[in-house]
Amino acid sequence: MRSINVIKAIALNTFRETVRDRVLYAIVIFALLATLAGVIFGQLSADQDLRILEDLGLSVITLFGGVIAVFIGTTLVFKEIDRRTIFLIVTKPIARWEFVTGKFFGLALCVLVTNFAMGLFFLGVIWFQTANFNSALPLFYALSLVYVELVLVIAMATFFSTFCTPLMSMIFTTGLWTVGHLSFSFDMLKELARDPKHLSKSTEILAIVLQNTMPDLAKLTVIRSNFMDNVFVPNSAILYLILYIAAYVVFLLTLSSMIAERREFS
Amino acid sequence: MTETVIEVQGLIKDHISNFLRKRFRALDGLSLKVTKGEAYGLLGPNGAGKTTTQKLLLGLLKPTSGDVKVLGYAPGDNRALAKIGFLPENPYFYAYLSAHEFLHFFGELFDMSAATRNKRVQELLQLVNLSEAGNRPIRKFSKGMMQRLGIAQALLNDPELIFLDEPNSGLDPIGRRDIRNIMLMLKEQGKTIFFNSHMLPDVKDICDRVGVLHRGKMVGEGLVKEICQNGTTQELEDYFMNLINTAEEEYKKTGNVTPYHFDREVSQKQ
Repeated sequence: MRSINVIKAIALNTFRETVRDRVLYAIVIFALLATLAGVIFGQLSADQDLRILEDLGLSVITLFGGVIAVFIGTTLVFKEIDRRTIFLIVTKPIARWEFVTGKFFGLALCVLVTNFAMGLFFLGVIWFQTANFNSALPLFYALSLVYVELVLVIAMATFFSTFCTPLMSMIFTTGLWTVGHLSFSFDMLKELARDPKHLSKSTEILAIVLQNTMPDLAKLTVIRSNFMDNVFVPNSAILYLILYIAAYVVFLLTLSSMIAERREFS
Repeated sequence: MTETVIEVQGLIKDHISNFLRKRFRALDGLSLKVTKGEAYGLLGPNGAGKTTTQKLLLGLLKPTSGDVKVLGYAPGDNRALAKIGFLPENPYFYAYLSAHEFLHFFGELFDMSAATRNKRVQELLQLVNLSEAGNRPIRKFSKGMMQRLGIAQALLNDPELIFLDEPNSGLDPIGRRDIRNIMLMLKEQGKTIFFNSHMLPDVKDICDRVGVLHRGKMVGEGLVKEICQNGTTQELEDYFMNLINTAEEEYKKTGNVTPYHFDREVSQKQ
């Protein structure tokens, strides 16, 4: 109970800090403008305007939500150290894992709110174009999966922020996020490595290692597209993906806590 | 026998530079003891190791070697931190929060109930003369107001042991007087105070004992009553300067500083 109270306090404080950050509002405004751009692009296509708008809108929310997660997440711990507010926090009777977890949940809450706001705006634009909410439910499911993906990005950013400078954290987080979407490429790499013309055991092993350690975000994108195309997606597939992401998040937060435990603050 | 609150024996702290992995010894075999209810002043020139000492005692840094016990626990142990208050040098607070929100946040970290927090926050804001500014954002606070708020957060949990790092740094005479009065009040309440300062008049008025650090070593330690037999700050300043000059001359000749030997029982506070 005590840990929950401490994590809640740090999370709410982090949320308050991030929603008052002007960079956040700039990113959200850009996202809304980019969503409106989907309307213009839609006008240029033949009978695909709604589909283009939906795809663009989802991509914009994913991309800008990710920008928020990366920009703010990679400075989460660094800012506390740089401004020395960390001295007041870690000299209180709290565990370092409570601090890291609280920072993570604070940013996750901020991204949830901004995604919800962008999603509402997006639905409003679609309604304005189509005068119906037929795509509301598939969009809601798709946006939920966008949020699940961003939670993983936040965990990555939190992890790197415990020991890297903001610039290196941004590079590593963005890199890992990108590699996560290339998981199908590892299958191709394995096949290529097994091809008698290009036989390479070391490449095959590398592909297997990367495939099993890097987060697999490509499947998330496939399921999102299936929602939008009204293709049936079994609940078990969704549950598996959510549990997979949750396990990855717990793993990253555990590593972050271990690093924070050993960190010195001079 | 008075209870020992801080016990340090042979403390060594090396810093290693990131790129060239060069080792720099910030503290070299420091030993000291602080007893319950004592006000101990750690003096020294800039770079002597005063802040490093406090950070080691609070668990912000880990010792390279040596024994350290704070309230009977290892530094950074939550059981000790629950009874400790800390005000770092030139603290930065969350500028977007008001004083109320700021203190409530730290009260939650002590797992205080809402009722206890409300009562304690009101009491402390009154103590540090910030009641009227309680709802103002901290970014609009003056330096003196920030220091007073910092003291308020250091006293939230009614600590037994209080660490203050240059609490009067950058304050005008009115601000310094306010902080000094608060520290004297804490001393009367029987709190143990460990503070770093360059302000010798405040050290003379508040401290029972002082230690002098130079180049990471304790070069002198004594009771303020014995050092300032005529009750003047000049005596403390002479004591301090004599120790530093002697140590520095030795360092220039030999490249080393002989530490003061902590080989006597700590005198009880009279």
